[in-house]
Amino acid sequence: MDLVTVNGLSKRYGGIVALSEATFSARAGEVHALLGENGAGKSTFIQILSGAVQHDGGSIVVDGQDYRPANPDAAQARGIAAVFQELSLIPDLSVEQNIWFRHEPRTWLGTVNRTQMRLKTLALLEKYNFPALRPDQELRRLTLAERQIVEIAKGLAKDPRILILDEATSALPAREAEWLLNLTRQLAAEGRLVIFISHRMAEVRAIADRLTIFRNGSTVAAHEADAVSDNEIVTQMIGRHLDRLYPERVSTATDRIALGVKGFSSGSRLSGVDFALREGEVLGVGGLQGHGQRELFQALFGATKASGSIELWGKPVSIGNPRQALTGKDGIALVPEDRRGQGLLLTKSVRENLTLSVIKRFTENGLLSRQKEAALVKEMVDFLRIKAGTPEQLAGTLSGGNQQKVIFGKMLLTQARVLLLYDPTRGVDVGTKGEIFQLMRDLAAKGYAILFHSSDMPELVHVADRVLVMRNGRIAATLEGVHISEEEILRAAMLETRAA
Amino acid sequence: MVMSVQQTVQMAQRPAKTKPTKPAIDWRGRLLDRAPFLVACLMLALIVGIYGSLQSGVFSLDELNLDTAAAMTLMLAATGQTIVLLRGGIDLSIGGMISLGTVIAATRFTDDASTTALWALIILALGFLIGALNGLLISLLKLQPFLVTLATWSILNGIAMIILPTDGGSIPSWWVGFASAQLLGLTSPVWMLLALLLFWWWFRATRVGIAIQATGSNEKSAFLSGVSIARVNLVTYGLSGLFAAGAALFLVTQTGAGSPTIGKDYILPSVAAAVIGGVSLFGGRGHLAGTLIGAFVLTLIGNLVFVLHVSSYWQPVASGVILLLSVLASSVAEKAARNRAQ
Repeated sequence: MDLVTVNGLSKRYGGIVALSEATFSARAGEVHALLGENGAGKSTFIQILSGAVQHDGGSIVVDGQDYRPANPDAAQARGIAAVFQELSLIPDLSVEQNIWFRHEPRTWLGTVNRTQMRLKTLALLEKYNFPALRPDQELRRLTLAERQIVEIAKGLAKDPRILILDEATSALPAREAEWLLNLTRQLAAEGRLVIFISHRMAEVRAIADRLTIFRNGSTVAAHEADAVSDNEIVTQMIGRHLDRLYPERVSTATDRIALGVKGFSSGSRLSGVDFALREGEVLGVGGLQGHGQRELFQALFGATKASGSIELWGKPVSIGNPRQALTGKDGIALVPEDRRGQGLLLTKSVRENLTLSVIKRFTENGLLSRQKEAALVKEMVDFLRIKAGTPEQLAGTLSGGNQQKVIFGKMLLTQARVLLLYDPTRGVDVGTKGEIFQLMRDLAAKGYAILFHSSDMPELVHVADRVLVMRNGRIAATLEGVHISEEEILRAAMLETRAA
Repeated sequence: MVMSVQQTVQMAQRPAKTKPTKPAIDWRGRLLDRAPFLVACLMLALIVGIYGSLQSGVFSLDELNLDTAAAMTLMLAATGQTIVLLRGGIDLSIGGMISLGTVIAATRFTDDASTTALWALIILALGFLIGALNGLLISLLKLQPFLVTLATWSILNGIAMIILPTDGGSIPSWWVGFASAQLLGLTSPVWMLLALLLFWWWFRATRVGIAIQATGSNEKSAFLSGVSIARVNLVTYGLSGLFAAGAALFLVTQTGAGSPTIGKDYILPSVAAAVIGGVSLFGGRGHLAGTLIGAFVLTLIGNLVFVLHVSSYWQPVASGVILLLSVLASSVAEKAARNRAQ
């Protein structure tokens, strides 16, 4: 018998239909993958299941009983816990306080029983073989990946019968992602239902028993995982054939050096990085996570301090802050890792987000020219195919892929021609991923120079012209041509340096 | 050494070991976290030091009793304010509540202990209810705490004026005498100070206390974790009102009368005391011990200005400078902590 059965589920936000007539069913003891492009309704679906929002129509039956949670508490009471993509953690509480938040073991005084809490934390981490975590560390000191792991622990702490993992692997480095995949199987073996959302087909293939595909707010199909091919899945997800995810790699690199970096060092995380990024080139930056990739991007953009020399288009420059990086026609622009936190103002419109950092370009005699602004915004929305009702739609209401496009647009409007793309496809659906890769190649062909980091190794392998592999804050190897492969990247990231 | 590709890949994918080794305590990090509080302590020590070198008898129990009595009204008001700040809000209405409390006390308290006790309880209950109403309005109307509590401040002030248009009324002497009652050489304000700390130690470790802090730290996350934001607001502002009412009941022991305007003198100082003590205006971070130190700092500045024989107009100047220094110290520490984290 099915543990969860959903029929005719619908949800509207104002005039926007997020879900219409969605169906879903899943059994206890299975890993059930939920697939669909961003904006397909997956997020809304799991928000309803987890009690964060309430549905307008349709029915959910859990364990033979009607299910309509008024809030996340009510969902948890029925044994349903969600590990959110937008994390539900509290920055000023410790790891263990976060894990047990609102369910803390208490003393007779009503205060938190710290000893008990520590023991329960260690037992939980031990039972599911968690990567090392310090229970007493404050959450705001943790990296994104570590926070994701805490979020998973928090979900498991409720001992749920149904655990929803929303893109939980997208923030994790390879090793931890592998751990999580093993964990889902362990949970299923314990008789729980794991609802797993991921944009990485290989992961879905590795763990899912069954899968349900959403498109435009409705359920398109449900399959036994081994009875359907990747191609069929992708076709059903996007409703058309996607010829290929990765665009053809035609090198458009010239001999002109756009960004020359020598002896670049920053604290203990970057030491003596040298490389040259050429006009028209897509240069990948890979390696195991936490080996200086983030620091390199941040320092190049002037967000953190670094020593060493930078030449832009042959001219030595010093970049003390992002404003200097963005200045002028020959600046540097960054697409950051955490688009919601760093790149996008969620409560501002698409238009405002696009033009905020380039407001000067539309100013005449100190006054804003609305016409000029509107024309450029329209051009950018069309060029990037941003799916927004109007340019005045709030950025926070767009799907993840479209939010990422807005950030691209914002970056392109700065007229910088050296682009730093830090994991630009994180949490982006497969259709938009393809568009982003194509966009990168198009920009390179136009003479842009692109430095590109991805946490998904195949992307580096298939999109970059060359790949710098980082290890311990240094460039361990530069891979070119046929040498670019996952094996070579891993080898360089983990073993001794070898000549390219 | 040559490793096969297979081995390399396996090595990368091997799950991490979960040996719960006893981690080294990050002393420097902890120190940086507490930097604003430590700076406040340093400031207090400095002020007491200067004060003590200019005036004899500063380092005595008498002086402690005296200064604590002088600071207690502010401390009570600032305790409520600290809870609100921890929630990420602000409560201006405490000014109105304090005024209202003093005028009710000055018009209703009698020599009859039971009547007076009843009215004291009514004032406290009123404080909680009015505060809870603030919380309710903030949640229901989705309005800024600043605006809602600005409005209730004005309303309460008006009501206080209607009850007692000018300073006056009378407070029974036995109630006034409460502030100088002694136990083991310490007066009741000092015991109240200890009680406040005890309350905080308890409150901060309860689920309600943690939920309030968590909501101030990140409201969306708290909501997703199942916190009822409306209930948190109700309790937060309710407690703030309750402490403001308590401040009024103590204040009348110092003034011996009611005043429909006196409350405004505690609104911004209550925020300043908390900020000097390292409580974040953005919510989620801070401790009552810091606030109480801050209240001492603000009170002793007055003493210092007095013994320096300069115009009393220098007191707000000095308070402002100290506030700036505290904010600066917090921001420097915050920056250092951020740099370390990277």
